Amino acid sequence: MSQTPLVEMIGIEKHFGGVRAVDHVSLDLYPGEVVGVLGHNGAGKSCLMRILAGAMTPNEGEIRVNGTPVRFDDPNDARDAGIETIYQTLALADHLDAPSNLFLGRELKTRFGNLDDARMLKAAREVLARLNPNFKNLSDPVSSLSGGQRQVIAIARAIYFDTKVLIMDEPTAALGPSETAMVADLIRQLQSEGIGILLVSHDMHDVFDLCNRVVVMNKGRLVGAHTIEEVNKDDVLSLIVKGELPADWSARNLEAAQ
Amino acid sequence: MSQALKPAATGGAKPFAQLMPDAAKMHRLSALLTLLLLIVGFSIASQAFFSVNNALTVLLQTSVIGLLGIGMTMVIITGGIDLSVGSVLALSGVATAMSIKAGFPVAPAMAFGVAVGAVCGAINGLIVTRLKIPPFVATLGMMLMARGLALQLTGAAPISRLGEAFGLLGNGALFRVVEMQDNGFPKVVFPGIPYPAILLLLVAIAAAYMLRRRQIGRHIYATGSHEEAARLSGVRVDQIKLYAYVMSGALAGLAGNVLMSRLVTAQPSEGVMYELDAIAAAVIGGASLSGGVGTVSGTMIGAFIIGILRNGLNMAGVSAFIQQIVIGAVVIGAVWIDQIRNRR
Repeated sequence: MSQTPLVEMIGIEKHFGGVRAVDHVSLDLYPGEVVGVLGHNGAGKSCLMRILAGAMTPNEGEIRVNGTPVRFDDPNDARDAGIETIYQTLALADHLDAPSNLFLGRELKTRFGNLDDARMLKAAREVLARLNPNFKNLSDPVSSLSGGQRQVIAIARAIYFDTKVLIMDEPTAALGPSETAMVADLIRQLQSEGIGILLVSHDMHDVFDLCNRVVVMNKGRLVGAHTIEEVNKDDVLSLIVKGELPADWSARNLEAAQ
Repeated sequence: MSQALKPAATGGAKPFAQLMPDAAKMHRLSALLTLLLLIVGFSIASQAFFSVNNALTVLLQTSVIGLLGIGMTMVIITGGIDLSVGSVLALSGVATAMSIKAGFPVAPAMAFGVAVGAVCGAINGLIVTRLKIPPFVATLGMMLMARGLALQLTGAAPISRLGEAFGLLGNGALFRVVEMQDNGFPKVVFPGIPYPAILLLLVAIAAAYMLRRRQIGRHIYATGSHEEAARLSGVRVDQIKLYAYVMSGALAGLAGNVLMSRLVTAQPSEGVMYELDAIAAAVIGGASLSGGVGTVSGTMIGAFIIGILRNGLNMAGVSAFIQQIVIGAVVIGAVWIDQIRNRR
């Protein structure tokens, strides 16, 4: 992993009044890597992800994409840099149908600049069928779809375009077991394609199953960054809850080797 | 269920019909039915109601509400409201009249009037998006300011004697057929289609096209449907809202010019409470005050319901006071239906 990281966040700070939501956090992500971002609710992980997604501007710090410093004033800037986000809230416009949501902000157009609904419907049908073969009611407003279907649209929207970095904020929170397995497969597939993934999750099983590394946030600070082999679930829980590793901790993989 | 209702969609709404929830289609259908019932009812009540001449009168009267309603629909779809359109209408008319008095030809003067409306709309939009003031309050302020400015500029006196050319937009008609009779008096064979009605049709088609087929229209719906989601999806919601308010202001300006042209007089006190007619037209037509829902065709139906209600009650000899009561009840009824729809 000596190559340039896809994304580096260096010394990011975000304050709300006197509250430091994100306190001097640095983070990097390499191609084909899945990094778990863990922490309590309110630990600042969603804030950090929103900053990377361009939905929030940091007070301090620098973001580099492929080594070049960038500035995200707007979610469009982050998307242009190949950073896509699946939000926990899914961020779907309820009154619009699946293709409209899939292409929202990046609508396909005809030569005359009109919306090309036929082409968008066709593309949406293809990409959604790949994720969920039972997805048929594409022209219904998404408010009438099931939680799983809505999730599939949000995922499809993030991976359809030329994605280099994918931020997944609790992607399986609304899903049943089979759909969760589908998301896990998808993460592995994207990983093999060289996409870097930041996975925000509360599910230890998922994290240990999928991630190469974990970073843990506590009260806005980054309290631990470890490769997954170095730690076990108890260590990570300790980081999440107390903000520090157990007193007698040493890297688990080295321990096992001894 | 969705299959069963598909044929119910009106012909013009096809490309977008898939995007609308079935409830909205039902709403529009019931509004259309109400409109037909009103026409039938008033035709029975009054002989003069169901005639070509009266139909054209209704068309003329509705064109102003219709123009205001189209702009209002755009704003309502974004989840906002524009209470200033009645006052902006007056200010724009006054601006046009004053520039004609200053010696400008009619066409540039009218363009100036529309531009004044657009500027009022832009101020509304900037207050809503930059100062983060709720649309209700922001446009209420503009309603007072625009009216005050119109009254101040004119000293509350109407500006008259604006010339025949100024009256053409409001009083002219296409395909007007007049026959000279033997006795030397002209006989109107066909009164023609009034220019305001043609203007309304063109604006309605353009607005419907913009909302259904253009990216900005899609973004207007997305903004009203879920503003934060739209923002995260890369929709520039502030620009979209600004655009909607500018369109509403400009259309109010256009409506002002039509109205003042019809009277060939600029009345600074014209258009009081017109915003409520426009809102009522949009809501009766199925626009939701909570945003994300609404169509131009629905608003047109709503505008005609109000126009025909006014005209029919007049023809039936119902007093203006009773008319207010009826229209008020219709507005409450329409918003009530909107509420029921959202509760489900």
